[in-house]
Amino acid sequence: MAKKARRRATPTTDAKKPDVKLTAQDIKTLDTLKLLGERVVATAESSRPPHLDIPSRSLANVKFNKSKRFIEMSGGTNRRELFNLSQARSYMQTMLVASGCKRLIEQGKSNSIRGMYYMLKHTIEGTREETFNEQSESDPIIEDVEVTLNALREELHVYASNRGSIAGNLVFRDSGDEIDCSRMGSGGYTIPSIVEPNVIEFLSCDAKFILHVEKDTVWRRFNEDKFWRKHNCILTHGGGQPPRGVRRLLNRMHQELKLPIFCLLDNDPWGYYIYSVIKQGSINLAFESRRMAIPSAKFIGLRSRDFEACELSPSVTIKLTDQDIKRAKQIAKYPWFTDKKPWQKEIEGMLKNGFKLEVEALISKDISYVTETYVPEALERQDFLD
Amino acid sequence: MATVSSSRSASGASPKRRSRATAESMAAQQRSISVSEFFSKNRHLLGFDNPRKALLTTVKEAVDNSLDACEEAGILPELWVHIEPSGKERFRVAVQDNGPGIVKKQIPLIFGKLLYGSKFHRLRMSRGQQGIGISAAGMYGQLTTGKPVRIVSKTSAKKPAHYFEIQIDTKSNNPEILNGKGEGIDLPSGPAGIKLMTEQGIEWESQLPAAPVDGDDARVTDLESGTRVTIELEGIHKRGKGSVDEYLEQTAIANPHVTIHYRDPDGNVFDYHRSAKTLPKEAKEIKPHPYGVELGRLFTMLKDSKAATLTQFLCESFSRVSPQVAKAICTTAKLSPRARTKRIGREEVDTLYRAIQDTKIQNPTTDCISPIGEELLLKGLRHVVPGEFYAAATRPPAVYRGNPFVIEAALAYGGVATAQKVSYELLLQLLDESDSRTLKLFLTSTFDGMGNDGAEKILRECRFGPRQSPSKLTTAERKRLFEAMRNVNTGDNQSMQVLRYANRVPLQFKQRDCAVTQTIMGMNWRSYGLTQGRGSLPSGPVTVMVHMASVWVPFTSESKEAIASYPEIEKELRLALQTVGRKLGVYLKKRQSIKQEGERRSIFLRYLKEVAGACEELSGADAAAVYEQLVKVARRKTAAADTQLDDRGRKVDGDEASQYGGNVLIVDTDSEALEQHLLGRVSKSSNESGEG
Repeated sequence: MAKKARRRATPTTDAKKPDVKLTAQDIKTLDTLKLLGERVVATAESSRPPHLDIPSRSLANVKFNKSKRFIEMSGGTNRRELFNLSQARSYMQTMLVASGCKRLIEQGKSNSIRGMYYMLKHTIEGTREETFNEQSESDPIIEDVEVTLNALREELHVYASNRGSIAGNLVFRDSGDEIDCSRMGSGGYTIPSIVEPNVIEFLSCDAKFILHVEKDTVWRRFNEDKFWRKHNCILTHGGGQPPRGVRRLLNRMHQELKLPIFCLLDNDPWGYYIYSVIKQGSINLAFESRRMAIPSAKFIGLRSRDFEACELSPSVTIKLTDQDIKRAKQIAKYPWFTDKKPWQKEIEGMLKNGFKLEVEALISKDISYVTETYVPEALERQDFLD
Repeated sequence: MATVSSSRSASGASPKRRSRATAESMAAQQRSISVSEFFSKNRHLLGFDNPRKALLTTVKEAVDNSLDACEEAGILPELWVHIEPSGKERFRVAVQDNGPGIVKKQIPLIFGKLLYGSKFHRLRMSRGQQGIGISAAGMYGQLTTGKPVRIVSKTSAKKPAHYFEIQIDTKSNNPEILNGKGEGIDLPSGPAGIKLMTEQGIEWESQLPAAPVDGDDARVTDLESGTRVTIELEGIHKRGKGSVDEYLEQTAIANPHVTIHYRDPDGNVFDYHRSAKTLPKEAKEIKPHPYGVELGRLFTMLKDSKAATLTQFLCESFSRVSPQVAKAICTTAKLSPRARTKRIGREEVDTLYRAIQDTKIQNPTTDCISPIGEELLLKGLRHVVPGEFYAAATRPPAVYRGNPFVIEAALAYGGVATAQKVSYELLLQLLDESDSRTLKLFLTSTFDGMGNDGAEKILRECRFGPRQSPSKLTTAERKRLFEAMRNVNTGDNQSMQVLRYANRVPLQFKQRDCAVTQTIMGMNWRSYGLTQGRGSLPSGPVTVMVHMASVWVPFTSESKEAIASYPEIEKELRLALQTVGRKLGVYLKKRQSIKQEGERRSIFLRYLKEVAGACEELSGADAAAVYEQLVKVARRKTAAADTQLDDRGRKVDGDEASQYGGNVLIVDTDSEALEQHLLGRVSKSSNESGEG
C-alpha cells in the first residue's frame, strides 16, 4: 500500500531526472510502452472492454525454419481480456509490469526479475489480495510483455539472475572492466544475464572452439584438468538448462569469433532438450531464436552406446521413468529431429537401454576419463551428433 | 367349549374346570361403561398422556372451540390465553374469546358432558370434530386438582353474563352445577356486573384492546359477547417444541385473521396481532358423499331416514346423488328404486353399499372447505417466520373416500441463521430472560432452526462446558458466546422445519407418523437446491408449512396428532410441495447467479484501479478518468448483477413474480425485523409488515 501511495504522490511520468541519458533504443522502447497505455485508454474511452494480444509462446505457435535451421515464432496470439474472469488478474499484472519497465527505463536503472517481483508487489487497494503472490507469477508476465512489445528483456531493463560460468582463452570487457577468462581461478567467470555488445565487448580470443557442458560438476572437472588450456578452447556451462545470458554469449562467440560449439550433455531427455535449445532455440523464447540459436552446434555425448563402449558399471545407470519415456518420445517427434536418422537412433537406443546416463557416470571409470580420454577421442574422431 | 351357552347375551364365559367364577357371579360385575369413565382411565387417547401435554391439550381444545365459534358467528376472533401457576405443577388456564357466547341452558352440557357438541353430526370443515375436547380437559382438571371448570359467557351487550362452576359426574356423564344452588349465577351487564365480578374474583376481559394495526384512530371498545373458560389442572410448563407457546405461534401462522393475547406462567405477555382483517370464507355444511359412507353408517342412516322410498333416501341424504344416479345405484343393487326404506334388510344394505362403490358418482362439492389461500399463507408465514423468500401453493380440491380436501403448502427460506444476526445487546436481553438451565437449552429454545448440533458447535467454539448456566455468565463469557454465535455457521446443519396443520390447527406431535413428513422425506429436494440425506428431511434454513383442510381429516389417533396416509392425500401433498419446491429452486438458482455475477464484478472492479494507475504511468492519461471509464465498461459487462441486485429487498414486481409463477414473496430481512421477531417472544407487537 505504501508503495502504491508513494507512486501516486509523485507521478514519475514526466519527472525525468536530468542526469538520465536515454539511448536511442530506450526512446524506442518507451514509445512502444506509451502506445500500449494509450491503446487501453482509447478502448476504455470508447467504452469497449480492453484486451491485449499476446503472441502465443507454445509449441503450437512455433515453426521450424528449415533454411535458417532454428525455431521461429508464428503469428498466433492469445487474447488477454480485462473483463474475463480467468484473465482479469493477469491482464492487470501485465499492465503493472509494463508500467514498471517504463519506470526503470526512465530512471536509467535495471532490475532483476526477482527485483521486478518485489517492485510491483503490493496489496490491491481495499482488498487483501496481492498483485503478485510469487515470483513464478511475475516471471511469465515479464516474458509476455517482451513478446507483446517485441522488445527484448534487456531493452526493458530487466535481467535474470546470473548463472553459468566461462573459462578459457578469451578476453572481453564487461561494463568497462577487462576480464581475462584464462585467469579466473577454479570458479571461472560468472556469465552475466545481459551480454549485449554494450555490456560485453570481445577484446581478444585465441581459442579454437567452445565446449559447453551441462552442469557445474563436470565444468569443474574440465577446469581443474585445465582442459581448455590443453585444447585451446573456451569452457562454459549453463547450470542445466542454459539461461538466456549463456545462450546469447554462446551465440555471440559463435557468430563474432567464429568458434564451433560442442556440447557435452547427459544421455537423457533433458540433455537432448538442452542441446535442442542451444541449437534451435527454445519454444518459450522462440521470438529470440534469431539471437540465440546456434544451428551448427554439435552433440558430443553422452551417447546411448557409451554404456557398452566405455564399459560402464550398471550401478551408474538411472532407470528411465514413465515421465522420461514420454518426454523422449515427444522430443523424437520435434520437427527438427524427425528427419535426422542418427538422432532417432540415439533416442531409440536410450529407450531400448531403459536407463539414462549422466556425464558424471564417466567419472566412475576414472576421475579424468572424461577430460583425458572421452572428449579428446570424440573430437579427434569427429564423432558427433548434429 | 360345549358348556358355552349359545345365547346372544353371552357373557363370554370361558370354559371352566374348576369354578373360579360362574357366569352368574360374573354377570353381577358386568355393566355399561360411561364414556367419561372410559376416558378418565384412558386419558392418553385424548392427549393427556403427561402433565406437559395436558397443559397444551387444554389450551388447544379451548382455543380451537373459541375459534370455531367466532368464525361460525362471523366475528373476527380475539382471544385471551392466560396461564397462571396456582401451586406446584398446577396451573390455572383461562381462555376467553369475543365469540357469540353460549345460551345459559347449553353451557353445562357443552362443558360438562363428554361427546356433546354440534360438530360431530355434520360434515363441515371445523377444528373440533368430536365434541370431546373441552369437556375432557375439564374432566382432567377435575381429576388432578378437584377444582371445577368455571365458565363465564355473555351473548350480547345488553344481556347479563352467566357464570357457572361445573363438575362432571363421571359415572353418568352429566354436568353438575356447583354454584348458585345448581343453577349458576347471572351477572348483570354494565359496570354493576363488572363490580360484581371483581368482588367474587371472577376474571373477565371486558374490553377489546386497540390493535396497533388499525393505526391512531383505533379505540378500545367494550366486549359485547364472548365466553371464558377457566380450568385448573396439574401440568408442567416448558418452552420449546410441543409447548403452548409453539402452539399459539403456529396457530397465528395458519390463522392470520386471529389476534391472540397470551400471558405465560411467568407473566410474559405475547401479542399475536392479526395480519388479515377478513374472516376466511365460510365453509358450507355438506351432506355426506356416498363414497365416504361405511356400511354400518349406511344402515343407521336408512333406519333414521324419514324418506319413503330408496331413491328419495339416496337423493336427500347424500350429496351429488341425483334421481338418475339413485336409479343407477338401485339397478346395480338389483333393488327397486321405489322400495320402502324401512323394509330394507341387512343384506340388502350390503348390496346397496357395494352398488354405491361401483356406481360412478361425481365428486363432492368443495365449498365445504375453506382453505387459507396463498396470499394469507404468505402473510401468516412471513409474520412469524423470518426469512428472505416465501412461496405458497393451494391445490385445487381433491377427494379421498368421498371426503373433499384441500392441501396447501407454504415455504419460507431464511437467509442467515437467526443466531448469527443477533446483536450483542439483544443477546444480553435474551440471556436475562431465559429460564433455561443450560446454555445448550438456551440456544436451542431461543433461536429458530438451532438444533443440538448447531448449539454444540457454538459451545465448543467458545469452550463452555455442557452444563454451563446461561444466567451465570460473566461479561467476558457473554462476549465469547456472542463471538462464537457470530462465527459458527449453523445454517447448514439445521434440518427443515415442518409445520403441519389440519383445519388450521397445528399438529405438534408424532411428526414421523404423519403423511406430511413422510411425503417430504420421500421427495427429492436436492433438485430444488437443498441438501438432503437419504430418506430424511432436507437441510437448510427452510420452514415448510403444510395445511390439510377437509370436512373430515383422517387422523392416526383420537388425539389428532398425525394425518393418516391415503394415496390421494399423499399425491396432493406431493404436488403442493413440488410447486413451492420448484419456486424455491428458481429463487436459489437465481440468487446463486446474482451472487456469481456480483463476485464477477467485484473481481473486475478490484483490478481496475491498478490498471488505470498503470495506464497513467504508461501514457500520461489521467488515472481517475480512465478508472471511471473502465468502471462504466465493467458495469455494462456485468449488467445482470445490477438489475437483480436492485430488485432484492423490495416487493417482487409483477414481472418477477411471474417468473416464479406467482405466489412468492421476497424480502430482505433486516436486523430490525429480526429483533422484533426475537423480542416478540416477550411482546409480539409486530405490525402489518407482512405486506412488505
